[in-house]
Amino acid sequence: MSEQHIHPEPTTFIRKYVFSTDHKVIAQQFIWMGLIFLLMGGTMAMMIRWQLANPGVPVPILGKLLLHSTGGIVSPYIYTSLFTGHGAIMIFFAITPIMIGGFGNYCIPLEIGARDMVFPTLNMLSFWTMVISCLVLVASLLVPGGTAAAGWTTYPTLSTNIGTPGLGQTLVVIALFLAGLSTVQGAVNYITTVIRLRAPGMGYFDMPLTVWGLWLTAILNALFVPVLGSGLILLSFDRLFGTHFFVTGALVKGGGDPLLFQHLFWIFGHPEVYILILPVWGVVSDLLSFFARKPAFGYKATALSMVVICILSAVVYGHHMYLTTMSPLLGESFMVLTMIISVPAMVLFVNWLRTIWQGSLRLEVPMLFSLGVVFVFGLGGLTGLYLADIPQDLYLHDTYFVVGHFHLTMAAAVFLGSFASIYYWFPKIWGRMFNNTLGKLHFWFSIVPITIVFCTMLLVGYSGMQRRLYNVESYDFLKRLLPLNQLISYTAFTLFTGQIFFVSNFMYSVFRGRKAPDNPWEVGTLEWQIPSPPPHHNFDIVPTVIHGPHEFNNPMVKGKDWLAQDEVIPPETAEAPHVETQLAGE
Amino acid sequence: MSDTPKRPNPPPGARSDRSRSPLAFVAAALFTLAVATFGLSLLGGSSPRFPSWRAIGAAAPARPIDVSVSGHLGDHLFDFTTKGISFLFIVMCGIIFWAATKHGPEHKAVYDHGSSGKALILTAVVTLSILFILDGTLLYGSFVDLGEAFYNFPKESDHPLIIEVQAQQWAWNFRYTGPDGKFNTPDDIVTLNEMHIPVGRPVFLRLTSKDVIHSFYLPNFRTKTDAFPGAQSRLWFQATQPGVFEIGCAQHCGANHFKMRGQITIDTPERYADWERAQVAQNQRRYDPNDVEAHWGWDWEY
Repeated sequence: MSEQHIHPEPTTFIRKYVFSTDHKVIAQQFIWMGLIFLLMGGTMAMMIRWQLANPGVPVPILGKLLLHSTGGIVSPYIYTSLFTGHGAIMIFFAITPIMIGGFGNYCIPLEIGARDMVFPTLNMLSFWTMVISCLVLVASLLVPGGTAAAGWTTYPTLSTNIGTPGLGQTLVVIALFLAGLSTVQGAVNYITTVIRLRAPGMGYFDMPLTVWGLWLTAILNALFVPVLGSGLILLSFDRLFGTHFFVTGALVKGGGDPLLFQHLFWIFGHPEVYILILPVWGVVSDLLSFFARKPAFGYKATALSMVVICILSAVVYGHHMYLTTMSPLLGESFMVLTMIISVPAMVLFVNWLRTIWQGSLRLEVPMLFSLGVVFVFGLGGLTGLYLADIPQDLYLHDTYFVVGHFHLTMAAAVFLGSFASIYYWFPKIWGRMFNNTLGKLHFWFSIVPITIVFCTMLLVGYSGMQRRLYNVESYDFLKRLLPLNQLISYTAFTLFTGQIFFVSNFMYSVFRGRKAPDNPWEVGTLEWQIPSPPPHHNFDIVPTVIHGPHEFNNPMVKGKDWLAQDEVIPPETAEAPHVETQLAGE
Repeated sequence: MSDTPKRPNPPPGARSDRSRSPLAFVAAALFTLAVATFGLSLLGGSSPRFPSWRAIGAAAPARPIDVSVSGHLGDHLFDFTTKGISFLFIVMCGIIFWAATKHGPEHKAVYDHGSSGKALILTAVVTLSILFILDGTLLYGSFVDLGEAFYNFPKESDHPLIIEVQAQQWAWNFRYTGPDGKFNTPDDIVTLNEMHIPVGRPVFLRLTSKDVIHSFYLPNFRTKTDAFPGAQSRLWFQATQPGVFEIGCAQHCGANHFKMRGQITIDTPERYADWERAQVAQNQRRYDPNDVEAHWGWDWEY
């Protein structure tokens, strides 16, 4: 472990709050950015849902503000832009900043006992690259001809000049590339920090599972985001310089292969879904233990399952491409490999359930959200089984069944997991408590609608409705599904407006909330052993780690049910032999 | 830290919420009222903008009618998967519910890291039995179905009806060989968005695209396949009963993706022969040897 200096605290406003190298400030910057884009992506989803419930009817309120040119109606082209924007924004500009940029930055140094990231300046660069990326993305909304419309997957040849000419799509491709660049900068930092800056005594298996999740995410990011980057660069060459990497067909003589992009995209794209969910798995594995007041069941098995999933994630991407006429042998291989993922996933679930079993559950707001993650991710993970299977996928591929499935896994689960994290670290980050009642209301107004929305999407997809469809009434066999789509839409509006409980709670409590104690949740990980919010250099003395992160209800400890990671077992329990004989006698 | 005394350990179950604000309750009450109004309004009369429970009930989710020889295979696997995962999901929910209600703050937590050999073996047994029973059955069934049906493309000796499909923004072009059994000849049948097939004969498609990627989707045959520019993909199916059904595009292909709707008409062999004869005559009249664009067909290889 390298020597860590205490850097003097910056004094100017700019260095302290804008161009800060402090991981805690950068984390907050990322969280604010992610929340703003979450609102933006959510608004787009609401407009999509409005169109599907009321085809061709002007959007109330938002239509007047945003859709001037069409008189408030979501036109087919705007509709394609909306679902493209919704996907890209939610994945690259909402989830990634909140979970990876925000909590990755916040938790990794604090939970491993480091004073900052190993490369603080690179960390700052990562955030500001993301800002540039966001600006390019927002610029794409303003250029004539409109923003990207080729789907977030940007499949060529639709995403080349053949399908979507214009500056908007080019800007989005560049924005995605820059977002990837920022992610890789962050990933390099996270990986190195975890390897180099763990506090003395902290082995890999003494790290909180949150850090495991974030660290594995960073490794996947560093390995696979560059693959997407290469694809996007080639795509932008095709768009800007007239190369033919992915362009082909009757309109072009010679040319490349659009399928090549799909390979590049999904080599990145499948690990990406684990990139998004791994931090949440880590957080949930920790929080279930913390609020059940019980050690995480099978800690090593959980950590190693996450490692196995990371490895498998690299070799299953073909299941996104079953319909591209790949060789039968290849298709079947991908099917088998995909199904093998159910082994580590089941291990995670068994361990989560056995962690809360025989516990002493405190149903605080972060715990409710964590249980919510287990619930919706259970639904999402299990429905993945249908799609892994080629005979069923032939029918279900590109239907709303897929939409429901991946929203349950990487939207609902990550959404709830992000809020679990925000509520859990809220006292530490902002040094204030949130309002508990509003938090619980937020939970119930999130979990109920989110389940109804995405489960009904599964049913609509089962009935055959294609995804990215502008109007259900354009197909005779789908006309009967309009009431179900209206049910989804109105429930989604409830979900969206229900977030007012979060917004009001957050805005009030960040600035005006009751001052938080240092360790309101009574847990033993290192970040809770220092003041809230932590001082600039985090730890006055770098702690020496003695225990794992989940020492709850240890019979050796008297008077409290938790034990800090750097805490020597209090002397009054030094009559340990006595305790042991008592235990043995029981 | 003087103004924030460390919270003393409250007795279990008595962790009070000390940060209540009346505003929160007013907001919550208003919102609950709004949601309740929404829920109740579903009971009322239906308007085209707003469904009633009755309308939602009438739109009960169901697969479109299956008119293919192999569609029931996927359906069967689907129903099997549903049973398996429902069981697992109910067990999971039961454990969460039980733990959340019975193992509350009054319950003494057990100090167990779950790292003993016994715990690991139990986890392994649960996991592997699910792998072998659920995934294993599914995989076995799928391999059989893929080998016998989905990947078992018709051979020349099966005398399939061969059709070439060229997708474009936003339509489907179909090309039949006509009597001579060769493509790109004057007796080809070329149709737009209209596909006719006979009952009981395998249909073998090769698909390509003129511009962007499309996906040829037959909900009533439980199958689909992508159509790529510059490449060929293939698909086969066989109808079991006559009728008129829809062809959809499943891959986002531009703003008018939703309009890319075709129609598949399944006829009895006799009626199909009549249709074919009439079409050949019509197409021969229309044939123009100089119209290169119209000769997009290619030589068929099995």
